[in-house]
Amino acid sequence: MKLSHLVLALLLLLPLPASAAVKVVATLPSLAAIAREVGGADATVESMLPPNIDPHFADAKPSLVVTLSRADLLVENGLELEIGWLPALVLQSRNAKLAQGANGRFDASTVVRRLEVPRGAVDRAQGDVHPGGNPHFLYDPRAAAAVARALATRLAAIDPTHAAGYQSRAAAMATELESFGRAQTAAFAALPAANRAVVTYHRSLIYLCDWLGLTSPISVEPRPGVAPNPAHVAKVLAQLKTLPKRVILQEEFYPTSTTSTLARLGSATLISIEGGTRFDKGKRYIDHLRAISAPILAALSR
Amino acid sequence: MKPTLLLLAAASLAPSLAFAQTSDEEAALAAALAADTAEAAAPAPASNDASAGVKLDQAFILDVSAAAFDGERTEGGGHDPAGNGFTLQGLEWAVGSNIDSFFRIDANIVFTLEAIEFEEGYATTTALPLGLQARAGQFLSRFGRANPTHPHSWSFADTPIAVTKMLGEDGSRGLGAELSWLAPTPWYAMAYLSWQTPSDGCCNRAFATVDGPINDASDLYATGRLEQFFELTSDLGLNWGLSAQTGNAARADEETASAGTTTIVGSDLYLRFKPSDSTLRRATALTAEFMHRRRALPGRTLEDDAAYAQFVQVLSPAWEAGARYEWATGNESDPLDPDWTSDRTRASLQATYYPSHFSRLRLQLLADKLPWQTDTTLGGLLALEVIAGAHGAHAY
Repeated sequence: MKLSHLVLALLLLLPLPASAAVKVVATLPSLAAIAREVGGADATVESMLPPNIDPHFADAKPSLVVTLSRADLLVENGLELEIGWLPALVLQSRNAKLAQGANGRFDASTVVRRLEVPRGAVDRAQGDVHPGGNPHFLYDPRAAAAVARALATRLAAIDPTHAAGYQSRAAAMATELESFGRAQTAAFAALPAANRAVVTYHRSLIYLCDWLGLTSPISVEPRPGVAPNPAHVAKVLAQLKTLPKRVILQEEFYPTSTTSTLARLGSATLISIEGGTRFDKGKRYIDHLRAISAPILAALSR
Repeated sequence: MKPTLLLLAAASLAPSLAFAQTSDEEAALAAALAADTAEAAAPAPASNDASAGVKLDQAFILDVSAAAFDGERTEGGGHDPAGNGFTLQGLEWAVGSNIDSFFRIDANIVFTLEAIEFEEGYATTTALPLGLQARAGQFLSRFGRANPTHPHSWSFADTPIAVTKMLGEDGSRGLGAELSWLAPTPWYAMAYLSWQTPSDGCCNRAFATVDGPINDASDLYATGRLEQFFELTSDLGLNWGLSAQTGNAARADEETASAGTTTIVGSDLYLRFKPSDSTLRRATALTAEFMHRRRALPGRTLEDDAAYAQFVQVLSPAWEAGARYEWATGNESDPLDPDWTSDRTRASLQATYYPSHFSRLRLQLLADKLPWQTDTTLGGLLALEVIAGAHGAHAY
């Protein structure tokens, strides 16, 4: 082997210098949007899923193995939201940085206040219940603010050179989110209490309801993850008709035949909720929250 | 190993930290590491609850079926419906867990009415460099698309003829080791290479089995596979695999002359269309797999082919339907299948209802043209599967 070839081969095999931007891969587009804002120019961020896919049922595409194999940091939602597709991809990626407990693995659910944590054993007869609690906390800006701050700390541990940048961007983002969150909470609180009841499709909007002070007396799904049946839908319609402001909230990736019919029969407004931040369109996480809260407030204010 | 290669390997494994230290600092760090290692080697305090807090994923998967045929039972798989009446296809106990930051373990143990079958049990590395990963233990060989899978991920209630005829009633599996490599290409390209001991009875029927310890490495069979994935659009993906297996050929019991080599080659395609804007989670999948087998037996060489193509349409979270067509050739005087002297074809239709993500009821109708029968055999299968526990994610 020529000496020049040997030198070239050695250079190719040596670890890259630490000045390269941190490669962040987030499972969900909203997590990617948070990471992009916190990471700034010091990180490159990819989202594994588009915003209009139900994260419970994503395909474990082999191309995602390649994405994960090159990541310095994996940001996941946690609480078993991604259990159907993420573990096999991480194992196949053979990227030791992403091992459970390693600096390169960030579970956002560990830094937020969890709702609907089951008491006692979980039984599948209750539906698709997540044993660690309801995983859909990304509809709450207060949770997202906590995620941004914790993510900055993790990025700083991986890339200490740019620690100050991560911390300052996260602080600014968290402040903006908390301020927006308080303003929206106040706006919804100004509505008559009886107007703040809505029907939801899946039990995925409880964090949204908690943030905006809404109640959801009934869901279109009889149990989480179980498709609606005629008897239950009749009960939902009866309940809907008792509400002073008839509003149905449904994420965009669920089927709409039942809810459209309910809206027609109950003279209700059906609002489609963005499943995730339009990260691929360059949108910010706060844009996603605005797109969700504004039509709900308008419908309940009419 | 040549010194240049050794140098390259050492350089690739060395942490970047080492290049930034002075010799004094390196010596101090080495001394501290040695002291810590000695301390860590001290016996840990005894505990009656060593597993407390360790996450062990486990699931029970029950497959039970009823079948009716208007002629001879045509199913060839070890866990297929056994004939007219009820069959416990298997109660699979699947467990898996990370061991430490270097290994994880996975096992699949299947209970039937007659036996407990140790289908798979292997350790997988999680932290090898350069895109490498190793497995060791008992595992299904990575040959083709159907062979490395378990019944709960199948789209039909029975095993493809290509698998049962060319590989074995339970396919191809054995005790051994595998090395795989994720190529540093912009697209997904994975290469697998394994050596395994042929399992007697259930599997690897075209390879000679050895009672007791092997004599040399040629008693093992080798499997190689190259798998690539092309994301044609965000909704359309194509997975393409090329596989090969080779080892000592199985010979007939009455034959005393030594046999030559069995070689099986195959290619498989999986095309999946899943529109991201489908609120009913609709998906269309087309799978095709082809195998060619060549066996050098005493005094003759036998060659045969088998293939299947299947189409599965997911209509909604609750409903799925599919069609499959299979074909396999035969040989005169084949000691493995003496009656299988010409082509066999089978067509199947299935409709599946999923009451939830954890249960399914599948109705399958089939028409099987067996080489050793004049009339086509018709059959109907009704298969129930239920899953309890946390079963791991399925591959694409």
